[in-house]
Amino acid sequence: MITINNITKKFGDKTALNIESYQLKEGEILGLVGNNGAGKTTLFRLMLDLLEADTGEVSINNILVNQSEQWKTFTGSYIDNSFLIDYLTPEEFFYFIGKMYGLSKEEVDDRLLPFVHFMNGEIMNQKKFIRNFSAGNKQKVGIISAMLHHPSVLILDEPFNFLDPSSQSLIKKILRKYNEDSGATILISSHNLNHTIDISSRIALLEKGVVIKDLENLNKSAEKELEEYFNVDDNIQE
Amino acid sequence: MWSLFKELRLHNKLAAQRNPMFEKNKFAKFFLFFGGLFWVGYLIFLGVIIAFALKKSIINLEAYQALNTILPLVLSLDFLMRFPLQKPPTQEITPYLLLPIKKKQVIDFLLLRSLPHFINFFWFCFFIPFALITVTYTYGLSGVILYNLGIWLLILVNNYWYILCRLLINEKTIWVLLPTLFYLALGLLIFLPDQSPIGYFFRALGDYLIEGRLVAYIGVLGCIVALFFINRVVVSKLIYSETSKSQDSTKVLTISSYSYLERFGEIGEFMRLELKLLLRNKRCRVSLRSIAFLVVIFSLLISFTPAYDGKFTSNFFAFYAFISFGTVILTYIMSYEGNYMDGLMTRKESILNLLKAKYYTYSLGALIPFILMIPAVVMNKISLLKLCSFALFTVGFVYFFLFQLAVYNTKTIPLNVTTSSRQSSTGLQTLVSISVLFAPLLLHRGIELFFEETTSLWILLGIGLSFILTSSLWIKNIYRRFMMRRYKNMDEFRNTREG
Repeated sequence: MITINNITKKFGDKTALNIESYQLKEGEILGLVGNNGAGKTTLFRLMLDLLEADTGEVSINNILVNQSEQWKTFTGSYIDNSFLIDYLTPEEFFYFIGKMYGLSKEEVDDRLLPFVHFMNGEIMNQKKFIRNFSAGNKQKVGIISAMLHHPSVLILDEPFNFLDPSSQSLIKKILRKYNEDSGATILISSHNLNHTIDISSRIALLEKGVVIKDLENLNKSAEKELEEYFNVDDNIQE
Repeated sequence: MWSLFKELRLHNKLAAQRNPMFEKNKFAKFFLFFGGLFWVGYLIFLGVIIAFALKKSIINLEAYQALNTILPLVLSLDFLMRFPLQKPPTQEITPYLLLPIKKKQVIDFLLLRSLPHFINFFWFCFFIPFALITVTYTYGLSGVILYNLGIWLLILVNNYWYILCRLLINEKTIWVLLPTLFYLALGLLIFLPDQSPIGYFFRALGDYLIEGRLVAYIGVLGCIVALFFINRVVVSKLIYSETSKSQDSTKVLTISSYSYLERFGEIGEFMRLELKLLLRNKRCRVSLRSIAFLVVIFSLLISFTPAYDGKFTSNFFAFYAFISFGTVILTYIMSYEGNYMDGLMTRKESILNLLKAKYYTYSLGALIPFILMIPAVVMNKISLLKLCSFALFTVGFVYFFLFQLAVYNTKTIPLNVTTSSRQSSTGLQTLVSISVLFAPLLLHRGIELFFEETTSLWILLGIGLSFILTSSLWIKNIYRRFMMRRYKNMDEFRNTREG
């Protein structure tokens, strides 16, 4: 489904990413964890063809992302605010994104229904431009817009950031359900270990651009190893 | 206290130097330096010319007295010049509010810091040479020094007056009426009555300042101090409204949907997006409004006065009416989209549709100057053929050139801010905007060397039409070239994006 081959990316002298080979199967939920500067966002940007790799390639469904734009029709993503057209209202933004994928207004309205609880009455019909929303609500607009066209590959960078605890819990449920219903492959990165362990079927641990652990996470089996890596217990004792 | 002042000065300097639009823009540095040099030279030149002209033409008054009579006009000019160059202090105070410094101290420092702003010294370039020529004869060098000192103090009054108005305007646009009515009233009081009391007051004030009468200096200093304290109160009240300008407080009363464009599919959707970009963001809105204002003025001048009856000037302004509408936005093509480029790039061929939509929108937009120029046609100042020819040439040929910038513009421009000196154009943008302003005229003149006027207009029209008819081809070419440079462009857009 998603194949990464010999991919490297340097910023100046610093190697931001160096992954020899990595494959992700259809229907997996991959949690990407690592400390700041580990290369999580860089990897996502390379997968979305937003950055040029120094070497190597990424393919989604056997399409090389830097050679064709076909993968864009079935991939949804949200990295940061630069994915939002902030002088639109959320409704306008959703309809605009819908139109990009050939969806009518009615279809967009239907597809927004599963998110009603997540939006918590704070997003739709507010008569406000996106730029005037709080960071949390902007994050919600970004995540929903990435899922509107029911992508078979969904890439979300730090989806739990800025969200209140209820919304964090809700988005976990939404993502899990979406994965079960559609069989979509989902990639998320997060600093929140608990949420990542809760939701992911597989977890990749990045350190200085290298995948140092690739863990199956059946029944939270990766939890112990990850906690050891991040020294969670040691920190508490100290 | 002094170290805090120095620290704040340093922060301001670094903010300017490290602004991404400025740091990477060698042309901007070059342009600012030589632009500044040009204005210094120009003001000195004006000071000398006006001094000699007034000396020669005014009989019953000294030259400096004649100038002092209309001093409010100079002050209103100074006031206007400050808008793009001087920021109100509330925008800079927020980062310091949580530091263990007294709020009043920071406000005082920010207000005091406005005093050594370069704009407060700018007018010396005019008044020193002017005074040397006009004042020295009667009052000697001390008169020149005292006159310039007095003018400088009046400029400082204007400095705090501007800050007060700007603070209030930022709070509510309606406050724009305050300086407008103030300067309008001053202007009327100077020019309408035969014996203008305002003119007399400023003339007397000027004389008192030159003579070094303490009462005049105390009066002006009193104004400075009074405005300083008024600003202090206003700033401390507005700080809270600035920091509480939370996202939730800004509701939009009416949201235009431009639903008539829905029928045009994805391109129609991008055309709606373009209209919203233009009308919902300060930067674009202010540019468009200023250009519309200028075009209306030129249209009225061409139509109803003999001011632009000359062939070259009427051609220039007729062309300018069309070109400026597109140029003011298209020079920055893709720079606005830099704010959300990553989102666009993850959607298939969205850039191609965006470019097409832009072309159609600005082509239709040419109807606005066309309509505005109709009075000139009705008044027989410009032929209908000329108007059509200029319009089509602009939409075809000129837009073709402006659209090439979509490949090379790589700096994100913040959308919802007004223009400031820190968001300067790149060398290429300046070159292209100057070229498209003058090249069509030169080409028109060139064609006219070989053909009569009507034929040359038909030729221009033909050139424009050929570019319009082949627009889908050259837009695709621009899209392909943009995609080839996409990594470099996206990287630069990201690096120059604010926030």
